[in-house]
Amino acid sequence: MTQEILLVGLSHRTAPVEVRERLAFANGRLEPALRTLVAWPGVAEGAIVSTCNRVEVVACGSDPAQLAAELPRFLAHEHAVEPALLAGRLYTHHGREAVRHLFRVAASLDSMVVGEPQILGQLKSQYAVAAAVGASGRVLHRCFHRSFSVAKRIRSETGIAEKAVSVGSAAVDLAQGIFDSLADKTALLIGAGTMGELTARQLLAQGTGSLMVANRTWERALEVARDLGGMPVPFERLSRYLPLADLVIGAAGGDAYVVATAAVRDALRERRGRQMFLIDLAVPRSIDPAVHQLDGAYVYDVDDLDGVIAENRDARAAEAARAEAIVDGEVEAFWHWLEGLDVVPTVVALREKVEAIRQGELERFLTGSVALEPAQREAVERLTRALCNKILHAPLEALRGQQVGRGDEVAVAAARALFGLDRRPATVGEDEED
Amino acid sequence: MEIVLLRGAAGLYLAATVAVLAGLVVRRELPARALVWLLGGGLLLQASSIAIRASRVGSLPVATLAEALSLLAALLVGLFLAIQLRASLLALGAVVVPTAFGLTLAASVLKGGAQPLPPVLRSVWLPVHVLFAFLGDAVFALACSASVLYLVQERRLKSHRGRGALGRLPSLETLDRLSATCLTWGLVLLTIGIVTGIVWAHEAWGRFWIGDPKLVFSMLVWALYMVLLQGRITAGWRGRWAAQLTIAGFAVIVASLLGVNLLGLGMHGRAY
Repeated sequence: MTQEILLVGLSHRTAPVEVRERLAFANGRLEPALRTLVAWPGVAEGAIVSTCNRVEVVACGSDPAQLAAELPRFLAHEHAVEPALLAGRLYTHHGREAVRHLFRVAASLDSMVVGEPQILGQLKSQYAVAAAVGASGRVLHRCFHRSFSVAKRIRSETGIAEKAVSVGSAAVDLAQGIFDSLADKTALLIGAGTMGELTARQLLAQGTGSLMVANRTWERALEVARDLGGMPVPFERLSRYLPLADLVIGAAGGDAYVVATAAVRDALRERRGRQMFLIDLAVPRSIDPAVHQLDGAYVYDVDDLDGVIAENRDARAAEAARAEAIVDGEVEAFWHWLEGLDVVPTVVALREKVEAIRQGELERFLTGSVALEPAQREAVERLTRALCNKILHAPLEALRGQQVGRGDEVAVAAARALFGLDRRPATVGEDEED
Repeated sequence: MEIVLLRGAAGLYLAATVAVLAGLVVRRELPARALVWLLGGGLLLQASSIAIRASRVGSLPVATLAEALSLLAALLVGLFLAIQLRASLLALGAVVVPTAFGLTLAASVLKGGAQPLPPVLRSVWLPVHVLFAFLGDAVFALACSASVLYLVQERRLKSHRGRGALGRLPSLETLDRLSATCLTWGLVLLTIGIVTGIVWAHEAWGRFWIGDPKLVFSMLVWALYMVLLQGRITAGWRGRWAAQLTIAGFAVIVASLLGVNLLGLGMHGRAY
């Protein structure tokens, strides 16, 4: 009785957010849901992945057809939704394809923004819950842990996660090309609109040391500064504060440039040449483009950032192709390990081998020696068979002892090696990593 | 024997050049780690080659251009390894390692029969003067490499093209600081090199100033870098201007290294 891996779920590719949000497992709900899942008919091991972009159930069981029918029922039951809501939106991956899907999800190849880094952390913490409640067993344990190391490998061997594909991350990326560390840097947000606030937030999240906020209406500056943990500065005295700013986010529209070339030139002089990075998010622009000509000042407007992002998207697509090749190899390696766990082929091969030896020797004996009476023939036949069975008894018992669930790959490999069942290398998997 | 070791070192530096470029392009861990071993191995071979030659001529072997280039390459690789082991700056290697390979290759190709030093120059000042002067040159070479990378990175940023496929160059700030640090140390070493040279000249010929072209060049470099350092400290010179000056200063060093020795001018031309 071997076990199949099955994955059933829906994602941003198959279901709109209204459906996904109804099926999502909030943090507190994951644990009881996992307990229900492993008690569900046909499920031997189970785990759940639930993010804002996907809800997926991974399970192991002996009957894949039953699993394929039961897992959607489980999802509908858990969230008390009509099964009709799920129809056409669920995908089902069997065996190798399920493993591949999980690896791709972990490596963020299936994400809305390919290469985004959050998914791996979510996967890890959600799998930790499954492991803690004992919902996952050795197959899923291995499968998830492989997916984590596949993701890490892809992260380090391909540039998939390196290229920024949002305005905020592109800004951070460019800033890292200028500054050694953001921790001792100060950002100045000019114009506290939504876009500017978002970008400032991202810069702070990436470790920018401090923030100043300037806005035409002082109250709004106060409000945003409080929200972001920054310092409000008066809009009219901007040039006084400009020299303090390593990063400037210009997000205040208007007829004239808010940040003029002369002001930046003075600021650079006062900064003794230390570089300034200016991001212009406003249309019409708020920073004089001529500032970019100054030595040590780097101005990126919305179009420049878009250009960087578009370039990065293309680069990511190329890197994704390399990542897929890594996934292919890793799926094969995992599958090899999984097959190694399967006891039945080994039992069959062992029986066949011994039987072949018995037949061969019997034939040689019968043709080589004097003719035997049928009764004597029968006795020799019985004797050899009994001999073989006695010899095989202990090893077969040992193998069958492992057969509940998946076997012990060491025992299987040992049996295959000791009895010379195949010449290919023993299928002992790599060490599991935690 | 020395020439075999030297060729071995050149071979390893070539492999290291490939490794450093591969490391920047394919971005795996392996080339960066291989780089350290290849450079370490090359340095070992080169140092052995220099040591054998030294034991043969009885002093630090810097009498011929080939010997000088080899010593310079060894110092450069040693310095880069020291930096690389502290903070990985693979991109810096992309400039430094091919340079070391070129120097070593030139040293192994140039005809370099061992030349004994004229007796008048045999002195304890020889290794002191030469080592300080050469260390200074090597440190300035690093400053120059950092400045070249600075200009590359700065051009990318000014052209609005994002950070591109060149791998991750170090940030402008990092490169600027590295260049400034190397500049300071290079000046200290060069100053010691010049002073010991003058003292040695006095001991050998009884005069302080021998009007040697090498000395003139060195004073020029010294003055240039002193102005640059002063500008950095007091006027906050940084960025493109400082990088260009650093490279210009190093061009003078290269000119004096090659020009003086190849044309055989002055004392440094006849006996390095």
